Amino acid sequence: MAYTAQYYPGATSVAANRRKHMGHKLEKLREVSDEDLTAILGHRAPGQDYPSTHPPLAEMEEPPCPVREAVAPTPGAKAGDRVRYVQFVDSMYNAPSVPYVRSYYAAINFRGVDPGTLSGRQIVEARERDMEVVAKDQLETEMTDPARSSIRGATVHGHSVRLQEDGVMFDMLDRSRREGDVIIMDKDQVAIPLDRKVNLGKPMSEEELAKRTTIYRVDNVPFRSDAETVEWVQRVYLQRTQYGFRPGVEKTQ
Amino acid sequence: MTCPTESECNCSGAGEINEAIQIEIVPQRILSPETSEKLLGRVYDLDGIIRVMVQGSRLPDVVGYGPGTGQKVNHPLKKTIDVEGQRINMRVSLGRLLVEVCDEETVEELRKICEEIFTFPFEFYQGTFFKKYSTIVDYAKLGPNADERLLGMTDPKGKLDHIVFIEKSKDLKEE
Repeated sequence: MAYTAQYYPGATSVAANRRKHMGHKLEKLREVSDEDLTAILGHRAPGQDYPSTHPPLAEMEEPPCPVREAVAPTPGAKAGDRVRYVQFVDSMYNAPSVPYVRSYYAAINFRGVDPGTLSGRQIVEARERDMEVVAKDQLETEMTDPARSSIRGATVHGHSVRLQEDGVMFDMLDRSRREGDVIIMDKDQVAIPLDRKVNLGKPMSEEELAKRTTIYRVDNVPFRSDAETVEWVQRVYLQRTQYGFRPGVEKTQ
Repeated sequence: MTCPTESECNCSGAGEINEAIQIEIVPQRILSPETSEKLLGRVYDLDGIIRVMVQGSRLPDVVGYGPGTGQKVNHPLKKTIDVEGQRINMRVSLGRLLVEVCDEETVEELRKICEEIFTFPFEFYQGTFFKKYSTIVDYAKLGPNADERLLGMTDPKGKLDHIVFIEKSKDLKEE
């Protein structure tokens, strides 16, 4: 019987959404062009070739190594791209994804990525073209809501700040804002102005966000309402604590 | 009233205004400049107001750090608003309002104003929110023998020329 990976326990909608994000069963909600993505990431000019940090692997005489032969390089590594980053910020007010889930998502579904998890933001470092694939995938699917999630390289504190009156996550550097019924971004992720307005699409309604979120909240789906998740989280914490005492290890030393 | 810390530091509490009622208003959203102007205007129109302080997220003129350092921000929440005939350039968004009032009647009027202006839930607390004693920051900003009503009214990180005081002129002063 083929084994199906089970990424997260629980019977609530939040647990189901977490499984969807980790297992990459995502609904595509919007379209962001490659040029627009390159512009808001701000690592190179739209249309410019990928700058490289070393020659393509095919041109390099690599030493014989069984690991290099067994593992195919990612497209970015193969071409010798620079390592670049994308950083997402998620509001604690029912944003569709959260940093921990984004990190699981990146580590499970992509090769050659280095996810970093912080309380309100999540960064992925990878070769430039590999990173763009991860960024675009997150931007276009249900993992991102343009009003409650944002690409921010610096000054990310909107995560834990109250929302603005129009329901958009606060940004001290005003990179994205609501114009009509869509969210536009006219600065790159480190707040350098762009020569274009990138349309990030319509924000989700409150009901839609409550349905799609991966955040447990007492005013939506409380963590304690998910008995299976609580049981497994407690089991992990208990066993980790017990192993901290290294049972039996001292006797053998 | 003297300092209760038994340190014999000779600092004195804001004695006479301790009888006043202090209110903290926390709207569930960060207010837009238009709503802030409307709210502050209505609050300043009330009779029993002693002190008002605005707190909120900072709205910088330029990007402070990172590769974009020095770029202009032009934040839509950062506008010039009109309060009591004084034009004020907002340096922070209105996230929390502390008000000191004379009597219970004004508290109820204040609550009514909030219910009328906010289209979203808000929190309304009564307690002690302004400083009672001079701290090092107050001493550095205001010097010795500072006006007790100004204690804690300045931003510790703010520069002196950024401090904005809106003074309600006529009625209260005469009282």
